[in-house]
Amino acid sequence: MKFILDYIRKDEWSPYVAGVMLGVIGIAAVWASNSLLGASGAFENLAGLIGKAVAPAAFDNMYFNFIMPPGISWGVMLLIGVFFGGMIGAATSGTLLWGKKGSANSDEQWKRVFGPQVWKRWALAFIGAIILEYAAGVAGGCTSGLAISGGMLLAPAAFLFIMGMFASGIVTALIIYRKNY
Amino acid sequence: MTNFIIALVVGVFFGFSLNKAGLTKYNKIVNVFRFTDMTVLKFMMTALVVSMSGLYGLRGLGLIEFPNVPSTYIVGNIVGGLIFGVGMALTGY
Repeated sequence: MKFILDYIRKDEWSPYVAGVMLGVIGIAAVWASNSLLGASGAFENLAGLIGKAVAPAAFDNMYFNFIMPPGISWGVMLLIGVFFGGMIGAATSGTLLWGKKGSANSDEQWKRVFGPQVWKRWALAFIGAIILEYAAGVAGGCTSGLAISGGMLLAPAAFLFIMGMFASGIVTALIIYRKNY
Repeated sequence: MTNFIIALVVGVFFGFSLNKAGLTKYNKIVNVFRFTDMTVLKFMMTALVVSMSGLYGLRGLGLIEFPNVPSTYIVGNIVGGLIFGVGMALTGY
């Protein structure tokens, strides 16, 4: 028992243990409510909900009417859970930085590459997130929704997506890090 | 309603496992593209193998049915993946 409690308090688990946990959760999601884990779709549901309220004409298209209907979906609830789950994870290992000094830009490696400014971190996160969400819309899912959830159903789409993701990710990392790659 | 509660609970465990694997950190995500830290791949592939065998086993026993499998449209999947990689290496999310 003490061993398990100590392990829960550890900051970094073996990726294999955490992976098994995620695998079991993936099965549980299908078994309990016949749904797949995913993150990016929920943002689109929420964006559709806000968009339909603010500018109904702009959001009256194929995509938001049929492919990603707006509303509080299963995925939105999942996302709320993910937020708190991540917080609990950080809290149990004592690395929760909520409201602490320097928490807005806390990654050492990030500071080495881009600088210590907080605005840079936020600007890049914003731009990168736009790229991520747009790409997820094009591909039909993100890392969790397509690569992991699709992969566990052996969907060809998932493996095509992983291929593309790593190809361009490696090139982008090469460009950002240049000599330090 | 019960479905939403299940989603919430599943989400908490999902977030927890992501956090404990370190996937909430910028350096973990970027270093997999630099081949200096393979945590992301180890984590993803373990999850895939476990859930893959579990799901196909349970379907074989007739206990579950598969939800909609993500549809394949080759150009969309690959182009989406290519754009996604840029964002992923840039922000580390």
